[in-house]
Amino acid sequence: MQAKLRDLLITNILAIVLGIAASGLMLLFLGKNPLNAYSVLITSVVRDGYTFADIFVKATPLMFTALAFAFTYKANLYNIGAQGQFYIGAVIAAAGSLLLQNILPGWLVLIITLLLTIVGGGLWGAFVGFVKARYNSNEFLVSMMSTYVALAIMNYSLRTFLMETKAEYPQTDALAASVWLPRIIPGTRLHIGFVLAVLACVGVWILLYKTTLGYRIRAVGYNAGAAEMSGINAKKLYILAFFISGALAGVAGFTEVNGVQHMLVQGFNPDLGAAGIGIAILANGNPIGIIFAAILFGALKVGGTIMGQMSGIPSSIIELMQGFVMVFVILSYFVRTWLENNREKRKLQRAVAK
Amino acid sequence: MINLLSATIMMGTPLLFGALAEVIAERTGMMVTAIEGIFLMGAWAGFVGGYLSGSLMVGFLSAMLAGLLVASLYGWICIYLKQHQVVTGVAINLLIVGLCSFLYRVIFGVPITPLTVNPLTTIPIPLLSEIPLLGPILFNQTILTYIIYVLAPLSYFMLYKTSIGLTIRSAGENPEAVDVAGINVLKVRFLTVLLAGVMGGVAGAFYSIGFLGMFTTNIIGGRGWIAFAICFLGNWNPKGAVIGTLAFGFAEAIAIYMQSIGNSALFPNELFIALPYIMTIVLTVSRKSFSVPAKLGVPYLKEN
Repeated sequence: MQAKLRDLLITNILAIVLGIAASGLMLLFLGKNPLNAYSVLITSVVRDGYTFADIFVKATPLMFTALAFAFTYKANLYNIGAQGQFYIGAVIAAAGSLLLQNILPGWLVLIITLLLTIVGGGLWGAFVGFVKARYNSNEFLVSMMSTYVALAIMNYSLRTFLMETKAEYPQTDALAASVWLPRIIPGTRLHIGFVLAVLACVGVWILLYKTTLGYRIRAVGYNAGAAEMSGINAKKLYILAFFISGALAGVAGFTEVNGVQHMLVQGFNPDLGAAGIGIAILANGNPIGIIFAAILFGALKVGGTIMGQMSGIPSSIIELMQGFVMVFVILSYFVRTWLENNREKRKLQRAVAK
Repeated sequence: MINLLSATIMMGTPLLFGALAEVIAERTGMMVTAIEGIFLMGAWAGFVGGYLSGSLMVGFLSAMLAGLLVASLYGWICIYLKQHQVVTGVAINLLIVGLCSFLYRVIFGVPITPLTVNPLTTIPIPLLSEIPLLGPILFNQTILTYIIYVLAPLSYFMLYKTSIGLTIRSAGENPEAVDVAGINVLKVRFLTVLLAGVMGGVAGAFYSIGFLGMFTTNIIGGRGWIAFAICFLGNWNPKGAVIGTLAFGFAEAIAIYMQSIGNSALFPNELFIALPYIMTIVLTVSRKSFSVPAKLGVPYLKEN
């Protein structure tokens, strides 16, 4: 167990370093010195508190989408539609806040909106689980397709009933300050959604490893047939797992709209779903590991944005870094299995030699 | 109406390229989940090659090469390193988005007006194109469509009537038997993934240099996934893929037509854009029996 954990840490850190180095090498194509760029990057991240706090702001929605993937993954299901569930959550958060902000006190609006996004994102996700359970559809395909439908719904509502009063751009009016998520540290953008995200990670960990429901979900993931034999209703669990997964991704929409953007803008955060999957595999599906992996991806995002503002470096460097890190993380899985096999082999050889 | 059907065939062409590629690879047990990335890389390489050389032929060749490269990375990780196909595909797709927009910037800087090339023109086939009704629909298309007319029956013949096809299908149903027969399962899978990469590259290039004449990073917008879906809905059979493609091509032709006539009050634009995706969901729900390749998505591990 000790050796396994050591392997996990070393290979993952190596994967991250290699991923960042590979994207640094790409900068050479632009005639930029990557060492220069990275040193400017690090100094500007650490220099002021606002930028540093932004890492945790960016990590907040990523924790939710990563949890969304990791949760169904434990049941051996693939929810790659977190992006769509996030969009649904964002639309509901914006619509709910705009509708209620002048009627009810701010704190009440926030609670109601949060609950609405949980239900909305959850139902959107549960639909995938439902067609999987009822019609044996491929959940991977359906969740992927549902993302594009959610995108169309978001675009439609931004063009019609949610459109700003000026009717110029596809975005909503700004939310009243009373329904903004309160800031934790004044002078930064860090809001209480971050605490919510960390609590969600801890909560999902408890749910998965300390409750019967979590045990059942993991049992279905390990061997659905055997779980059914022992009296677990796998179909019901598919729907429930997808509801929870969708609800988690939906809350990301709430924290982004009420916590960061304070409005809904067309096509914002288009890579949350994919990055969430990357974070989940980096953390090996562990909800506590997701906290740290999400902070790392948040740092990549903030760093990439700063680099994008430097002269001549395009902002696509963010996707490049995320993509390279993800590919190297997958390679590190291979290296870990290889190390583990070698260790077992040596153990056997020693046993035989005796 | 003739325009709409002709557009159906045209918009269906790249989808069928992708779907056939996916059918052949999935028959060996390999889901090509990197298909979206392969399409995008093909669109990018096709545009870059076509723009810089001034020849669309060079564009399509570079697209094939680019698709091949992405597919070989995907195949190496999934087949030889035995990593998970869904997760690997998602990672590669994200990487390709970054890579394409970054390298576009490296090569072209920030152009003031969007760069364009003249896309493929239609070639009416003498005599055949003059058949009333069918002629203009089927035989006034680009060269890619004529190629797919040949490729579709060819891939069916290859899969079901040749020993290569038997090997391919067995690799996905009973890889141990293939192994015992002295054929390298991993190699069979890798080669079909490479083939899928080449075909997917061409499909991607259709969007950039076969149709629009320009490149943007959202040019594919999920079409790779649609090809992936068509393979599922077509029951892993080239015949089914053709039928599925016609349905999706028609949905896309309607979407383009609706956008061109502007917003109608009754049906919003977005409904038509979402139509192919809604259709996929409805079809996966309504189809009862699937003949999924037994080892689809399962890495092949040799005993010892």
